[in-house]
Amino acid sequence: MYATNYLRPKSLAEAASMFADAGDAAYVSGGHTLLPAMKGRLAAPANLIDLRHLPELKGVSADAGRVTIGAGTSHAEVAANPTVKAHLPVLAGLAGSIGDIHVRHMGTIGGSVANNDPAADYPSALLALDAIVTTDRRDIPVADYLAGLYTTTLEEGEIVTKVSFAVPQSCGYAKFRNPASRYAMAASFVARFADGVRIGITGCGDEGAFRWNEAEAALSARFAEDAIDGLALDPGRMMGDIHGSSEYRAHLAKVMTRRAVTNQGMVLIQP
Amino acid sequence: MAPFPSPGDPGDHRQPLPSAWPNDSYPVLRHVGDKLFRHIGKPIERKEDQRLVTGKGRFSDDFSLPGQTFAAMVRSPHAHARIRGIDASAALAMPGVLAVVTGQDLLDAGLVPVPHNPVPSTRYDVKLTAPGGGKPFIGPHLLLPVDKARHVGEAVAMVIAETAAQAADAAEQVEVDYEELPFVVETAKAFAPGAPAVWDEVADNVFIDSTYGDEEATDRAFAEADHVVKARFHIPRVTAVTMEPRAALGAFDAETGRFTLWAGSGGAVRQKRELSEVLGIRPSALRVLSFDVGGNFGARNRVYVEFGLVLFASRLVGRPVKYTATRSEAFLTDYQGRDLLTTVELALDKSGKFLALRADNVSNVGMRCVSLSPLSKGSGLITGSYVIPHATLRARAVFTNTMCTQAYRSSGRPEVTYAIERIVDIAARKLGFDPFALRRMNLVPPEAMPYRNAVDSTYDSGTYEANMDRVLELAGWADLPERRAAAKRRGRLLGFGFANYVESSIGTPKERSEITVKADGSIAVVIGTQPSGQGHETSFAQVVADMLEVPVAQVNIVLGDTDIVSVGGGSHSGRSMRHAGTVMALASDRLIEEALTRGATVFDVPREQMAYRDGRVVAEGTNLALDLFELAERTEADFGPLASVADNEMHTPVFPNGAAVCEVEIDPETGLVEITRYTSVDDVGRCINPLIVHGQTHGGIAQGVGQAMWELSYVDPDTGQPLAGSFMDYGMPRADGLPSFTAEIAEVISPTNPLGIKAGGEGGTTPALATVTLAVLDALRPLGVSDIKMPVTPLNVWTAIQKAKSNPNTDPEAWQE
Repeated sequence: MYATNYLRPKSLAEAASMFADAGDAAYVSGGHTLLPAMKGRLAAPANLIDLRHLPELKGVSADAGRVTIGAGTSHAEVAANPTVKAHLPVLAGLAGSIGDIHVRHMGTIGGSVANNDPAADYPSALLALDAIVTTDRRDIPVADYLAGLYTTTLEEGEIVTKVSFAVPQSCGYAKFRNPASRYAMAASFVARFADGVRIGITGCGDEGAFRWNEAEAALSARFAEDAIDGLALDPGRMMGDIHGSSEYRAHLAKVMTRRAVTNQGMVLIQP
Repeated sequence: MAPFPSPGDPGDHRQPLPSAWPNDSYPVLRHVGDKLFRHIGKPIERKEDQRLVTGKGRFSDDFSLPGQTFAAMVRSPHAHARIRGIDASAALAMPGVLAVVTGQDLLDAGLVPVPHNPVPSTRYDVKLTAPGGGKPFIGPHLLLPVDKARHVGEAVAMVIAETAAQAADAAEQVEVDYEELPFVVETAKAFAPGAPAVWDEVADNVFIDSTYGDEEATDRAFAEADHVVKARFHIPRVTAVTMEPRAALGAFDAETGRFTLWAGSGGAVRQKRELSEVLGIRPSALRVLSFDVGGNFGARNRVYVEFGLVLFASRLVGRPVKYTATRSEAFLTDYQGRDLLTTVELALDKSGKFLALRADNVSNVGMRCVSLSPLSKGSGLITGSYVIPHATLRARAVFTNTMCTQAYRSSGRPEVTYAIERIVDIAARKLGFDPFALRRMNLVPPEAMPYRNAVDSTYDSGTYEANMDRVLELAGWADLPERRAAAKRRGRLLGFGFANYVESSIGTPKERSEITVKADGSIAVVIGTQPSGQGHETSFAQVVADMLEVPVAQVNIVLGDTDIVSVGGGSHSGRSMRHAGTVMALASDRLIEEALTRGATVFDVPREQMAYRDGRVVAEGTNLALDLFELAERTEADFGPLASVADNEMHTPVFPNGAAVCEVEIDPETGLVEITRYTSVDDVGRCINPLIVHGQTHGGIAQGVGQAMWELSYVDPDTGQPLAGSFMDYGMPRADGLPSFTAEIAEVISPTNPLGIKAGGEGGTTPALATVTLAVLDALRPLGVSDIKMPVTPLNVWTAIQKAKSNPNTDPEAWQE
């Protein structure tokens, strides 16, 4: 790791001004992507501004059919939060399936959402649960938020403060993990709303998490596991590596979608 | 002295010590040869665990010295590149930098290559030679190369700085002018015509080419055979992933001219011998300390360049120098394991009897050769547990632009076990034999022991069919159809994979033990093996405690300081318990003789009147008696410390053996394999401590299963870049991916050494590659899958299923490639 300054602001405003003043700065909110990259000397911000402890980024609430989670909430806290468990137990289960126990106690939803790792879990939930990402500057609907691999429409210095999710009639999450890293190799979040089904797929898209529109339409018409039998994802739009070819990932995403349909209300993690 | 219990005494399962092995006499024990065992065979909890689990272990990186500096390596980003020049000026100008060292600096200082001695040296090891005979070219191993970098990650220069961070920052500023060269990383491509040469001295990369066995008889048997089956397998490359990355602290004392190295390894004595030669100093001018070692599995048995480099640098900068590998450096540059390409042909008669075997084995040693143990160990065992009257083997070793391979847990044996068990399975499927009956009818029977196989390995003892029967019983063979049907109802494919195995334990032949009775009421035993988690401090103490008839708690094992431990072969090849057990028995015997002699003097009775009982010297017919400690105290002034030393050299190998079953369930939709049961029966010879042996078996199974299921040191053939350079891409066995094991110990006493020991560290690993793969193939058979490569990851299983679907009429001959 190169030399870096660690800064710990006490308020959102202080964090933003630190970022503006520091130059060559990066926010950190758990750091489970950033710190390994820094240790591998692949990233070298001169200043690290830690957002985990900002009071403005704390808190979980539920109202008007939405659950809102402060960006500084750790995965372990989301997994154990009574409000999340009452309204969106599948989201709690998703959070409880991220990484390992160390990651879940350090990593935060804000950090994950701002990073938009193509193999992260949260982006699939963002898409399926029609999320709104709130920052220190604005509200961003998910359709305008995710912008490709490790990319979002966040502006320079903009800080995610909370994320709100629509509560569906039912939902389910099925994830197939990379046998080495245990990140998602293909995972599908299937949510059923009064006005239709939304599906968020993560782990496999070559531009990051995406919605599978054809499957949404088929399942909106008829919510049954065989409704998507005739559909297939295009391997040409999938990532491929030594753990999963693009063909395999396209296949897995479909299998995971079917399993999320048949296991509504549940989180299915393999292996 | 207590006589042996008669065989068959009720309730007494102890067996007499065996008579001397006819081929290789081992020392006669005068006093300890007929001990009744009080501690040996008991599951005594490990003495070392309290220390280790409370953070009191002394691992290499735990050592620091005042004023120490830090080393960082400049590593090659290329698989093969000529070093045209190294410009250190920018690095030297960085803050805290004290020195930059290149290969030329080492040559100028008179350093020589590491004296690796890769050709196994005991009388029983298969002899490997260069093509056409003679001594092979192994690729000189300078601590830093001067001509070329030959694999990604090879250290080409070293930076010394005040802090580790400064050294790492400066290492990036060392400018190496590389001329990239064509490279080869794949085993099968290394010896193909036109492959780039890793060494100019070996144009075709093949530096070992030897053939064994009776070719004529084998050819004749093949010509007359009713059936011949043939297949080619690749057992891929893996790495040890020790929990503790390698680390070294070197110090030079200008006053005495003496070097000290703190570095965990597989045996400090070898490190001292080889590193002193590299540095051009007397062996006595180097002290090596190796205390607790966080995992070895073979990877630490040979010298690492960084160990020599910190010593060199400590003299250069006049301060201690420390180096600790990062996990990334460990993935790139720890000595790796396996990587064997094997083509096997089996000839059978109509009834299924095996007639002959041909094998063609090619070992990928990486870019230079530090060890031929994997090729050699496997060579002697190509016929496996079976009677195969004729066999020939061509054994080759090739250079590639990859990190070196070394003995890795059960060096060479899992590879050939995989080959023989798979070819036997293929023969059964293809020719219509029941795979279990076919194995059973060809197993080496107990009455044939000692059995000399067709490539001249003499299996010492074992009841192979009994192992097979027992493991099938434990594995629930009888209920298999019910479990298979139940799995099918859940949409799962159940697979049952079975393998017999026999392996060899040879290892460095020499070992020394010194036993001293100390005034503080303890017995110190100095031994030259090096544990890295195997529990030597307990199991060795059990042996000495039994020999001297004292409590285990009073026996302390002293390891790992070359100022104290002068001779010793280290720990590898499952040699430790057998070699240490034998030499400790011999030293105990001598200690008792010395005690009796001293006792006679003290009591003023004839020597013949003295006896040794319950840890005491006794003058028979009197009430004169002293325990060892009283005797030591009483006689120290006149005779010196009560101590003994024994050297032993033992070449005869032993052949641990057993049978194992892996049961899996496969999700045919995702290709996910889950191991639902794992059962093994392992003949370890006499078991000193069943608790420790079971632990070894469990770890061994996990390590073998790990390779079969997840682990792969994958190098991209197009770029030469290792792609599994972190835990993100290198899949490890984890507790949640393994079932609770059913492991049983079979004790068929070996006639080759006084205690009857075989070995217990590697039996879990040896058959696991075969059992897992065969279980997966058994499960996938209904889908038309007949071959699959390791590791059996979801991707590979799914891909095999797709292949079988698109080509349902695959000829069984497709097994051939």
